[in-house]
Amino acid sequence: MIDWNRREILKYGLAFPSLPIGIQELAYGTAFPERPEKPKKRILLICNSLGFYGKYFFPRERGELNTSTYLKGFSNPEKLTVVENLFHPGMETSNHDSEKSFLTGAPHPESPHFTNTVSLDQVLASKMGGQTRFPFLSFSIYDRGWGCSWNDQGVAIPPMHDEEQIYNRLFGQEDLTAKKREIRQNQIVLQALKHDLLVLEKTEEKSAVESYRRLIRQLENRLEHEVHWLSAPKPRVSAKLNEDPEFAFSTKVSNLFRLARLAFQTDSTRVITLSLDWIYGAIDVPGASGGWHTLSHHGGRKETLQKLSCVERDILRHFDQFLKEMDQVSEPGGSLLDHTTVVMGSNFGDSSNHTCQNLPTLVAGGGIAHQQHRVLEAPTPLCNLWLELLHRHDIDVDRFGSSVQDMQLLAN
Amino acid sequence: MVFFPNNAHFFLNEIEAWRFSRINPRGKCGFSSLAFLVALLFLGPCAGRQAANLLAKDNGRAILEKYCLDCHQGDQAEAGQDFSDLGGRLSPITELIFENVATGKMPPADADHPDKGEKRLLLEWLASRSPQVRFPSFRRLSRSEFVQSSNDLLGIRLDLTERIPDDRGSFRFDSNRRIALSQEVLSSYFSVADQMLEFALPRKGFPVEQEWVTNKLKDSHSSYNIYVKDFRDGLLFSWTRANNGNSYSFFYDHFEPPVSGWYELTFDAAKVGDFPETVSLQVHGGKYYFADDRPQPQRLLGVISLDNREVQSHKIMVFLEKGENVSVHLHSKHTFRKKNSNAGGFIRQMRARGPVHESWPPPSFKNIFPGLTTHAEKRTVLSRNESRTNLQKIGGRLTVSSFQPGMEKEKMQDGSNQTFWHTRFHPTLAKGPHFVVLENPMRVPLHGLRYATWSGGNGNGQVKTYSVESSSDGENWNEPIVSGKLETRLANEQFIVFRKPVDLPFLRFLITDSFSIDGRSLASVGKLDVMTRVEPPVPTQSIEILGSTAVELEGCIRSFAERAFSSRLASSDLAPYVEIGRQELERTGDFVLAARLAIKAILSSPRFLLFPGKYSNDSYARAAFLAKVFWRSVPDQKLLEVCRENRLSGRILDQQIKKMMSDPRSRRMVQSLARQWLNLRAWKTISPSLKLYPLYDDLLDHFLPMETEMYLHYLIQENRPVSELIDSDYSFLNQRLAQHYGIPGVFGTHMRKVAFPDDVPRGGLLTMGSILKVTTDGFDTSPILRGAWVSRNIAGIPLSPPPENVKAIEPDLQSATSLREQIDKHKNSESCASCHKSIDPYGFALESFDASGQWRSRYRTRLPHRGTFQYRQQGYYKMGDEVDASGEINGKEFRGVTEFKALLNSNQQRIAYNFARKFFEYTNGYAPDFIQRLELLKMIEDQNGSCHTGDLVRRIVVFSLEELNR
Repeated sequence: MIDWNRREILKYGLAFPSLPIGIQELAYGTAFPERPEKPKKRILLICNSLGFYGKYFFPRERGELNTSTYLKGFSNPEKLTVVENLFHPGMETSNHDSEKSFLTGAPHPESPHFTNTVSLDQVLASKMGGQTRFPFLSFSIYDRGWGCSWNDQGVAIPPMHDEEQIYNRLFGQEDLTAKKREIRQNQIVLQALKHDLLVLEKTEEKSAVESYRRLIRQLENRLEHEVHWLSAPKPRVSAKLNEDPEFAFSTKVSNLFRLARLAFQTDSTRVITLSLDWIYGAIDVPGASGGWHTLSHHGGRKETLQKLSCVERDILRHFDQFLKEMDQVSEPGGSLLDHTTVVMGSNFGDSSNHTCQNLPTLVAGGGIAHQQHRVLEAPTPLCNLWLELLHRHDIDVDRFGSSVQDMQLLAN
Repeated sequence: MVFFPNNAHFFLNEIEAWRFSRINPRGKCGFSSLAFLVALLFLGPCAGRQAANLLAKDNGRAILEKYCLDCHQGDQAEAGQDFSDLGGRLSPITELIFENVATGKMPPADADHPDKGEKRLLLEWLASRSPQVRFPSFRRLSRSEFVQSSNDLLGIRLDLTERIPDDRGSFRFDSNRRIALSQEVLSSYFSVADQMLEFALPRKGFPVEQEWVTNKLKDSHSSYNIYVKDFRDGLLFSWTRANNGNSYSFFYDHFEPPVSGWYELTFDAAKVGDFPETVSLQVHGGKYYFADDRPQPQRLLGVISLDNREVQSHKIMVFLEKGENVSVHLHSKHTFRKKNSNAGGFIRQMRARGPVHESWPPPSFKNIFPGLTTHAEKRTVLSRNESRTNLQKIGGRLTVSSFQPGMEKEKMQDGSNQTFWHTRFHPTLAKGPHFVVLENPMRVPLHGLRYATWSGGNGNGQVKTYSVESSSDGENWNEPIVSGKLETRLANEQFIVFRKPVDLPFLRFLITDSFSIDGRSLASVGKLDVMTRVEPPVPTQSIEILGSTAVELEGCIRSFAERAFSSRLASSDLAPYVEIGRQELERTGDFVLAARLAIKAILSSPRFLLFPGKYSNDSYARAAFLAKVFWRSVPDQKLLEVCRENRLSGRILDQQIKKMMSDPRSRRMVQSLARQWLNLRAWKTISPSLKLYPLYDDLLDHFLPMETEMYLHYLIQENRPVSELIDSDYSFLNQRLAQHYGIPGVFGTHMRKVAFPDDVPRGGLLTMGSILKVTTDGFDTSPILRGAWVSRNIAGIPLSPPPENVKAIEPDLQSATSLREQIDKHKNSESCASCHKSIDPYGFALESFDASGQWRSRYRTRLPHRGTFQYRQQGYYKMGDEVDASGEINGKEFRGVTEFKALLNSNQQRIAYNFARKFFEYTNGYAPDFIQRLELLKMIEDQNGSCHTGDLVRRIVVFSLEELNR
């Protein structure tokens, strides 16, 4: 019998695909470009899977961020937009399973035979991931094998959830013997195939041989990319992780935000997802303790709502801190926050009733001309926003998930 | 307001990628008459193509003018289709005219018709005008062919298809020649080849076979475990579904596969109950997950039919990943959510054995090292007992502060949270502090504790706060290692993790606060165990190869490469692969590793992936082609032997084709055909709404596609008339499918041929649940989607692409206007009418079947549910409008599905022609050009009305072989 979990942790830690296959058109061909003059674009996508209590989250007065119970007093209000009236179609009976589709928009995730589709971050990583050690990172605060990220086969990419492991992965030294052996073998195989092409080009169609040769060259580049990052020293950072056993949950959230900031700051990756899900077990946050999931079924009861709001406030407190720190890192042409689009959202609009209408959605940073609070007249697929984000990151596609069109929701 | 359009048109495009851009004829010729055509055939296809061109040149134009332009000319042209200026360009119109004339749709019934000769002349003329479109002369291996071929070559069964990106894009058939091999696919072939080779020739030897026997279930939530109870010397299960509608599975404890591989599961089980139906024992694989109300979806591994009241052993062979669990779900309509029922499925115990191999040494050795002697130790079976807790495994024990008789400390270690330890409360109340001491005499480093409350009671004694202390003597306790809170009212395990491993011989779990309904000082624990990191290594058995020289290595590499490349190979062709094997042998001295490296290169070679069969005589090329078509794999040794003397032609070719078609491997062809042609590949992505179709379940989902595959297989094997694609009086069913279709008297899970009673409106593909389900939008039926599906895939009606910017309609069954009105409105709009009047009737005909494939006379209207969706058998719907399944096609009316099928079958040539086109495309990786279509038409006409499926398949394959060399 396999005993729990440090083992599991280790497994997920190591199984994390530093160079996942299946990502299309990863730009390995240009693996080591000159440092670009243009600021690098980054993105962080967060799913707070139990939602936020709508009455406290959304501004009470249209356009006035300060009338939001939760968001008033945020450090950078001029760099935020709350979008109201977004939803994912096809979630009528999805309950908690809707979480699986947060970044994919695939309908009816509750179906026993549901296969997910590719998640937003993976599409972004396919374009933005080639120049960093990690094409993307995927975090979660809870160990269950899936979070926000799904590969182009709709298969869950196990997120990393152990702060120490993530820290080591980003900044620690590793034993790379097996990886090196595999790379060496692949290189030998490519050599053999190149030899064979010299024989084949005498008899086969020239164009076919040429295109195979091109594939081999691409794979060689890719292996070179891997070798490069294997030998490249990892960045050194002085920041340490927080330890506060009293508020383990709270500490974990703040540590994951810190790791995200460090990963962006050291340009270890440009795409990160963070899944905030703690369905099981009690948590402690300043002012309240209890099962987050239990509390989320508040049924409008005052006392429960009060406790729930402590949990939600705590998460947003760390989020605000993260935005503030990101904004304090200056880069040519603005702050790190100005070059990083941050989305805080959820699959639940009303977790008390398990419904998925009017999803709480907040976009920050990214050099967007923010408008604080935007209310849409009709329910609009969240995938329209996802499509817009793709366009903002120079990915030219017509549709994503259930998108209808890029509605320029973030254009002021 | 619903903002998003139903993607009906997207679906249309999906159903069949438009091919106007790649209509491909090389035609420079036509024929003046049928007789002449036949004569020309003896001259060979090329001569025919050129000579006949001269004859058709102007006549075709004249025939078009004579029969078509009356209506199709100028601004007022019928259906907006003006043929007067076809010019020199190829337009969708040319294809439309060709198909409509070929299939007899045009000219319309009330107009003058060209005679047979004229018709052919017109078709030939149109064919001659089609432009040349080039595509590669080869096609890449698809991912499923890669996996299938590698499995056959290596002698293993390991389905890693899902680990390879699907590169089909929007093409209908996997075989499409326009799909180029991509970097992602090739690089995943590298890693999949590594995984397969590791499975076939594991670096550290083959894990020994082990055996487990278990009768114990893992914990499940108290609201579900009432559906299973102790019964005789085992467990009795009734049928339940979780709140979200998933099968609620019960997981077996004490068995976890130590490595990925094949395992033989034996269930000693019986049916309990007085009903004629059998009880279905669904066996699932997946990771155990304690869930309140949402079990993680499990993979259905197989279904066992319990038909006997006596306990019998039922065996099933399954592939399990390391660390997965096996769960069961016992389905019988008589026992749905029956608590304490005395009916259901009884399982005395489950026995698991594995990993097993078909033979010992495993077939992979014979396949990879033919002719070399192997030396293998005898295969042994280790008996495993997994019932011990971690504490027992490290030789530890428990003591407690006090206990209530019947609720002793052992109850914390019995693996169940329904039994529990409780402090004494009767006759006297034990005073605090309450605690459990865990002794660790071997001083094993402990990483923490796992704890569970007792589930299902009043919660008395559940721990609210605790601390854990350590001691070297069991008397003097150190400062707490950790203290904290535990959730009450939570049945799944909670983990208490130590900051550092602790190896002192005594640990004390001290309960500092606990729940109590009446304020008394109580403590209770459902489960308590320690966390250790010890995982016993899996013992392995090695197999020795008595070969070591470079010459022997070359022999193995040659044999493998010749099978993979489907050719005899000159030394120069083989050299790159032999070379890296030889170098690896020199470097490591390891014969097996050297062979592995060379094989990995062979499996990534363009000779395997792109152009097999090309390095020797023509027979090999034919064999490679045939193996791909019929088996989705490589030729076997026997077929290659026929090729050796270049004998694969003429009578021997015919014999071999027959042999290959009757080989069990040909099922793969039928399965692929169903997935690709009939779009059953979308099976898992489309699921009927459980609010409307609450009875839809795993069993239907498992068996419905099987019905279609078995039916198609039968049509081809038994050479049934093509008309049976549309209608017949039989199908392949089992108990669950028969229930679904309302056919009495079919018992048991095995699929068998069943004759339909007269009053059952089934028979043929269109009335199969699989087709009816896969043509819905995932929520409800849509006559537009079904209409498009039937007209494209079955009737072969060419459709123009939907106009740009057209507003799609979503049939809204909740709306006040009837569905028919909504669609009529859509049809009345100018631009939509011309197509929808030909598409929609095909869908209306199937309105009598709902999205799960059941017969209906009224629609169901969804009702809202409050809060969390809760599965219930009566669903959430009320009955709505009456179904109207009538319509009109080409001026002929039908009143329902039976008349509709008769109408389709009144033009059997068209059905056959459409099947032939699809099968040709599936086989060759491109749609037949106009000239090839004329050949297909001829094959059908030759058969004079009664066209047979098997013959047609054979003839198309032979024709495709001829076209290979063009």
